[in-house]
Amino acid sequence: MTHTYRELVLGGVLIAPIVTYAVTALLMFLLLRPLLHIVGFARLFSNASLAELSLYVAIFGLLGLFF
Amino acid sequence: MQMNATSTVTEAQPLVFAGFPASSWAFAIRVWLASLVALYASFWLQLESPSSAAITVAILALPTRGQGFEKAGYRLLATFIGVAASIAIAGTFSQTGGLLLAVFSMWIGLCVYAAGMLDGNRAYAAALCCITVALIAVQQIDSPLQVFPSGVARGAAIAIGILAVALVNDTLGAPDYHPVLAARLDALHHRVMDFAQDIAGGEASSAPIAAGMLRDIAALRPEITSLAAESSSGAARSAAARSAMVDLVSVLFLTRALAALPATYTAGRPADRDIGASGLIKMCRVWLRSEIIRKNADARSSLDALRAGTDPIRQWQAPLYRSRRIAAESGVRAAIYFALAAIFFVMAGWPNTEICLSLVGVIIGLGSTAPDPRGFTIQAVLAMPIACLLAGILKYFVFNGVSEFQLLAIGLAPIIIGLALLISLPNRTLSLFGRLTSVFTLVVLAPTNPQSYDPEVFLVACLFACLSSVLVFAAQLLLPSLSGDRRIRLLLGEARAELNGMNAGQIHHLAPEEAAFRDAARIEQIMTANDTSACHDQVVVEAMRCFDRAAILRRCSAELGRLAASPLADAARAAQDALTLRNGRAILAAAEALRTAAAESNRFANSALAVLVLASVAFGPSQPATGSSHRKQP
Repeated sequence: MTHTYRELVLGGVLIAPIVTYAVTALLMFLLLRPLLHIVGFARLFSNASLAELSLYVAIFGLLGLFF
Repeated sequence: MQMNATSTVTEAQPLVFAGFPASSWAFAIRVWLASLVALYASFWLQLESPSSAAITVAILALPTRGQGFEKAGYRLLATFIGVAASIAIAGTFSQTGGLLLAVFSMWIGLCVYAAGMLDGNRAYAAALCCITVALIAVQQIDSPLQVFPSGVARGAAIAIGILAVALVNDTLGAPDYHPVLAARLDALHHRVMDFAQDIAGGEASSAPIAAGMLRDIAALRPEITSLAAESSSGAARSAAARSAMVDLVSVLFLTRALAALPATYTAGRPADRDIGASGLIKMCRVWLRSEIIRKNADARSSLDALRAGTDPIRQWQAPLYRSRRIAAESGVRAAIYFALAAIFFVMAGWPNTEICLSLVGVIIGLGSTAPDPRGFTIQAVLAMPIACLLAGILKYFVFNGVSEFQLLAIGLAPIIIGLALLISLPNRTLSLFGRLTSVFTLVVLAPTNPQSYDPEVFLVACLFACLSSVLVFAAQLLLPSLSGDRRIRLLLGEARAELNGMNAGQIHHLAPEEAAFRDAARIEQIMTANDTSACHDQVVVEAMRCFDRAAILRRCSAELGRLAASPLADAARAAQDALTLRNGRAILAAAEALRTAAAESNRFANSALAVLVLASVAFGPSQPATGSSHRKQP
């Protein structure tokens, strides 16, 4: 069965699902940042920035998969 | 424009190729790769304006990740606001002729005013709000129904550009900014401590040297905010760097206060009172030394927190000083420049001039973020023909009809890499020139799929691009932009007015340390204004005197405020009254009365006494007009 994506409608303007996922993932990532700082996420990886980008991509992918 | 971080990064890297350090080459190659990724994704997604994605990459071409991310965030936000404003303006005022142009001028003036009230990438965001309106609403002036689709197309292209920069910077290990900033703050800390040691050793306090250090400290403020975007510990690093800056300004103020303190107080008063005053001065000197040591320890601890990525022990705000008057004058001028260009095109009656008018808006907007808008316009006038030439060579000699992406990638490499190397130079003029040429080349080249090779379209685009910069320059000749001298006069006037209106009893929403940093930011603006007058040193001395006096008054207010609920309240109130008179002798007498009251009630009021002594010296008759002390310490 094909996964159906629902479009967000703002004032009659249809927003593509990929944009909604990208923005939601960004907001979730920003909300997670204080927690990442507390657990010392940056110290766990040699390339912390790439790890953070990967985390964002993972959140984005999960949103696309389940919603 | 951002400060260039590459120069500092490369100090530890001796590898140099063709005169440029390896880090500059890495930066240039990252910019090229990000441009290609942005263009490829835009072509693949069949976006309407793929060149906007490449231009976004050129604009976000900053040597470190944090700086790029922060600018990217503000670029996205400003595009959103600009598109909303474009829709509102086009929807309300289309078909109104001159009124529409007047509204565009007012919007540009408003954005330039907002840019004048902000700093760093926030100012860029304010300028971008006006640029977005210029690129969307002004370009679609005759077809308002296209405003929304072109706004969406621009937003999509910018988002692709930002994603390309983020991907390339993260995967290719673009350097972080915090080590560069820590090194610069460290160097400033050493300079400030050397200055303090010289003063403690009996050397004179030079106002220009102190003002130079305040300028260098306050100049870091816009860059510190970019640390927050760098990583999950970025917010903590940013807070630590902010606290270190504020502590360094406090150390400088305390050091200057120590230098201004006389050996003994001899103001023609009775001998027994002179003995009392000398005791107060001695106590004040001891307090100042201990405060300097304490603040130095705070600054060192904040620097350690910056390196470790932890929260500092004490967090300070680093407020920005901005003159509303200067911002308003710049805003009005910007609105007039745009209106003059619009009137010129209306009178000329040429076709297709909306592109040229939109570029006028772009140059005015970008110029508002530069310290010298006139100098920026001159750079734009020089960069525009060079950009047209480079784009022409690329289009008609290198590509010459090809449409393969691989050839586009190879053809763009020398120009994008070469200009990115220029951007990475520590020389600000050359760096700005490189950035402008890089952006304008992509604007004129306008890579699309399929690529257009119509020479007529290209020549008209070149002509309009050059004409737009010349028109802004001509408008600035008719109505010169705010001169450095006038800026300084306004800033000094505001400093004096603030000092005169300062009341010792009033409650301040900022801590004295934070307010001192705000004053340091004003001194930075005075120092960086393009002053052509011969009396620059006197201006600096006067600015430093206002800085010292305002900082002392705020400290007095804070310390006396603490005593308001104690048995020393009456003596504290008397001291506040004396401070209102700005009379050194009355202040010293109030300090002596406070000391007596403190001794009688067995209370500790050394901090309040010390700052009152400083106030008595600052407002005393022996205070030299130059504001710098040349007395040797005992």
